[in-house]
Amino acid sequence: MKIVTVTLFAAIASSMFTPWAFASAEKGLEIAIEADSRDKGFGNSTSQMTMILMDKYGQSTERAIRNRTFEGDNEGDKSLVIFDSPGDVRGTAFLSHTKKAEPDDQWLYLPALKRVKRIASSNKAGPFMGSEFSYEDIASQEIEKYSYNYLRDETLNGLDCFVVEYDPVDPKSGYKRQIVWMDKAEYRVHKIDFYDRKDTLLKTLTYEDYNQYMNKFWRSNRLVMINHLTGKKTELVFADWEFQTELTEQDFEKSALKRMR
Amino acid sequence: MKFAVRGSFALFIVLTQPAFSAEVNGTLSSRLDFYPDRTSGTASEGRSAELKIDAFHDFGESRIVGEFIARGDQKDSGRRITEARQAYVRTPLAGFDFFLGNRQEFWGKTESKNVVDVINQSDAAANEGKSAKLGAPSISAERYLDIGDLQLWYISGFREKTFNDSDAHPSSGLPLNSADYARNNAKTADDYAARLSSFAGNWDLAGSVFYGTARNPILTVADDGSALNPYYALQKSIGLEAQYTGDVTLLKWESLHGTQSSLYGNHDFSAAVAGVEYTFYGPFDTIWDIGLIGEIQHDDRPQAAANQFGVAGIRMVFNDIADSNMLFLASTDRKADQSFISFEASRRINNYSSVKLNSQFYNARSSTASFSTLSDDDAVTLTLNMFF
Repeated sequence: MKIVTVTLFAAIASSMFTPWAFASAEKGLEIAIEADSRDKGFGNSTSQMTMILMDKYGQSTERAIRNRTFEGDNEGDKSLVIFDSPGDVRGTAFLSHTKKAEPDDQWLYLPALKRVKRIASSNKAGPFMGSEFSYEDIASQEIEKYSYNYLRDETLNGLDCFVVEYDPVDPKSGYKRQIVWMDKAEYRVHKIDFYDRKDTLLKTLTYEDYNQYMNKFWRSNRLVMINHLTGKKTELVFADWEFQTELTEQDFEKSALKRMR
Repeated sequence: MKFAVRGSFALFIVLTQPAFSAEVNGTLSSRLDFYPDRTSGTASEGRSAELKIDAFHDFGESRIVGEFIARGDQKDSGRRITEARQAYVRTPLAGFDFFLGNRQEFWGKTESKNVVDVINQSDAAANEGKSAKLGAPSISAERYLDIGDLQLWYISGFREKTFNDSDAHPSSGLPLNSADYARNNAKTADDYAARLSSFAGNWDLAGSVFYGTARNPILTVADDGSALNPYYALQKSIGLEAQYTGDVTLLKWESLHGTQSSLYGNHDFSAAVAGVEYTFYGPFDTIWDIGLIGEIQHDDRPQAAANQFGVAGIRMVFNDIADSNMLFLASTDRKADQSFISFEASRRINNYSSVKLNSQFYNARSSTASFSTLSDDDAVTLTLNMFF
């Protein structure tokens, strides 16, 4: 038995460290770096977002949200989300300072109390506003947060795409792996399959209606997340994108939260 | 003060004019209170309604902000109020943001009690928790510095804490006489405060100073036993706040140290709350969050119900579309002479309405315990909020 075990281990180890395995990891990382570099330089951006939550019977409810993002230099991006509806959370704001390797810093502004509250960021897998998007789905995607594995080329919706596996580095992620379809021409993400910790296909996210801004930055105006286990669906519909606005880094400090509205 | 109130409502009229194009939102709340342990001569139930109007308008780099409350109560005149909780102009000047007018501010880190939260007077008669405050008529300035956020406050005049009627709930059962003050100029005396808050890594820290009239009055029974005499002391204090944010554990601290000058002389005091909150994210294969809360309160001021309270609680957040959540807190003093239990639950009905259930239960084992006068004030409250 001992010999069999050792032999099996040697076989697995040799297959893990073949040049092909290195090549696919290296190519996966190269694709992720290229996609990231193509979005560099946007400075900051603002947009309006409508979140449409649908249950498996097709009944829906909507949320109105404003997004503001500040591009980070050495650290990750800073993002601010302000809720305009439903009425009971109107004026609530969520600030996140994304970190490349460490847990993100996150604060919540509660308008009834006028209170800025630091919150733990380990709730990555929890649903954001009762939607099918988790906190980690809406967080800024930093290169260091995943390891990569290029899988294959594939045509999706008539576009030549790379298919790359993203494996979350953080053990608190709700996902074991994500399979990402990215077009070769512009490195835009078109589809992500999310696999839970038991490696079951949990959700699929599709990106639609891409538009290019400032001749460089591509943004999808419609994201659709389908939960295969519950049959629920959440759509994010974006509008009024603006880039390189008058926002400064100070507008993304926790002291600025109570001035947001 | 009259000028401030008139100015606030002039601002309300301006902000709500259609031609002014301010963004205006509102909340209409209808509330039912039931008092299962009431004694005879006190209300068995309460009905009240509250209208809140929020408005703001930007002009250049400046902003006018208004938050106006009108609350009516069928029986309890103590809860009736027309209040400009916020009515201020904010404008940048010399690197600072200046605020002129009535403002509401929150200082603190802990959950069960915030001893450093000294800017606003409490609208305690509203019995709505920490959010019910009276606007502080003030000039304040804020600046973001490399070392943190600096706030400077000048508060013009003093506003007395609101109390429920003697036959309403919660109440000691005695009416209140006119208040006395340690400071000669009483309600016209000004207050001063400053705070520096910052964060580094997992730590959020703040320090503050305050010179002014204490927000909570010392209550003594009149010689003939027919009423309570509120007495507002002079307070000089330093506040400290800290929060450590771990993966699933929050450690919280806030403390207030200083001197109170009163009829009874100058007395040093300290008040502090230390707490921990541990959260289970997605337990039992659910999408819920379950938080366990433990806090210890110390307060050696004469206004406190007891020197020490221990508080334990559970917070449940269901993370559903209706944003359903519950909070249960139980506190008891060190001698187990008195205890207080609260339970609140809320959920959204639709995008324009929500419902909230609150309940509060007081228990006192001895007649000398502060809560002995509140033993008939157990309450179950149902509130329907409509947003427009």
